[in-house]
Amino acid sequence: MLVAAFAGAICGFMGVYVVLRRVVFVSAALTQVAGFGVVLTFYLQSLFLSSLVSHIDPFIFSIFVTVLAALFFSLKKDYMPISMEGVIGFTFLISSSLIIILSDKIVQGHHEIHNILFGSAVVVEPDEVIIVPLVSIIAFIINILLFKDFIFVSYDSETAQLYKYPVKYINLIFFIVLAVILAITTRALGALTVFSLLVLPALSSMYLSRRLIIIFILSAVFGLLSAVFGYFFSFIFSLPTGATMAFAASLIFIFSYIKHELFNNS
Amino acid sequence: MNELIKLDDVSIGFGKTPIIRGIDLTLTSGQFWGVIGPNGGGKSTLLKTVIGLTEPLAGSFKIKEGLRFGYVPQHEKYDNLFPVSVEEMVTMGRYSMVPFSKKLKQEDREAVRISIEKTGITNLSNKVFRELSGGEKQKVLIAKAICGNPDVLVLDEPTSSLDLKGEAEIMSLIKDLKDELNLTVIMVSHFADTIRKYADSIILVDKDKDILLNCGIDDAVSNQHIKRYFGLQS
Repeated sequence: MLVAAFAGAICGFMGVYVVLRRVVFVSAALTQVAGFGVVLTFYLQSLFLSSLVSHIDPFIFSIFVTVLAALFFSLKKDYMPISMEGVIGFTFLISSSLIIILSDKIVQGHHEIHNILFGSAVVVEPDEVIIVPLVSIIAFIINILLFKDFIFVSYDSETAQLYKYPVKYINLIFFIVLAVILAITTRALGALTVFSLLVLPALSSMYLSRRLIIIFILSAVFGLLSAVFGYFFSFIFSLPTGATMAFAASLIFIFSYIKHELFNNS
Repeated sequence: MNELIKLDDVSIGFGKTPIIRGIDLTLTSGQFWGVIGPNGGGKSTLLKTVIGLTEPLAGSFKIKEGLRFGYVPQHEKYDNLFPVSVEEMVTMGRYSMVPFSKKLKQEDREAVRISIEKTGITNLSNKVFRELSGGEKQKVLIAKAICGNPDVLVLDEPTSSLDLKGEAEIMSLIKDLKDELNLTVIMVSHFADTIRKYADSIILVDKDKDILLNCGIDDAVSNQHIKRYFGLQS
């Protein structure tokens, strides 16, 4: 539950940027890439059991490929003539299809692959109990230190450029932080769950507040609550954990929407 | 009058496609420069090139060292999804003095307060930017632009979405700030009358005729291209 709580909180927090920057599907694509990283490691290990490949940690490799994809997204527009949406769609589709193709070829690791796609978090690896909270805390610290810069570049990149801010460098840091979070949380909670925790708490908090800082705080709290309640109720009612977390986040979103409609349009 | 910006045989454009070639232009301090021309004629591209947001495609381009710009883009460019408050918006203008990863100091907060006061938007400071009227948004963007103590105030069609009363209010504010803060102003507009009324010098940009004229307001009246643009000659 500790892993789920930290993962929910940091996904909720980062999700506000994802929604405000209108890069929701970048996160969907990156979660698929993270899943693909794990599946590819298992596949390579099944091919070369006795070689060095068998020592590669799926976790580390997943972070590596997700960061690569994030770098690609943050630098893309400088050299490709097609739209960002096209690149995101391509990345999402090729990662998803490769996950399905490769997982069909793997005998070992079926359980893990299922968890990546649909989420588990019931039993996490011992290293995840340390890594997920640790990386989440580091990500929060980076966000607090660079809050002004992330907001400035996200909202008004033209003025930031005029004021000689290192816009590309700041975007690079943002996407790397996002990629690392997605890679570690996808392994722990699954792609569907992580995507839900990125998008739904942010949307819910935007219904409830018009103050930027409050939106970030509410979104982190909603992410945490979705993960914790999802975990708790999946345990009580023997439901799939990842899907229950996504459903909890959906319920918060529905309540936020209803509250907004009742109190803001009257 | 000091030379602030000098363009020598400069070509400007989108990507690698030139819109206007062979621009020779020298902008001096203390003037109100009005940039006029038809839509899509290259006014905004020239503006962005002058302040260094867009690289010129060719030619020599010099800016006086240490020159600070305050930039007022068209307010439609800001994404309404962001719930940024007026105070937060103006504070971003101060980031020219607060580099990457540094925090705002008390003097920066004070500069934000003064900018808000000077532009007469104190009553709006806690409101959300996206919920303001067009005229209010322009005032906020002007407050943001002057917050970083600029030498040059650069405005991209600041009155395009306003009625006559709103336009007069914004133009009067710009003129007052120019005098009070000793600013050089470069303003793009497709309203020739506005420019004629307020500007000291006129730059006419027209890609179709491949011309870029630069002259004082008195000379402009006798210049046939500008007269034609103002509708003074058929």
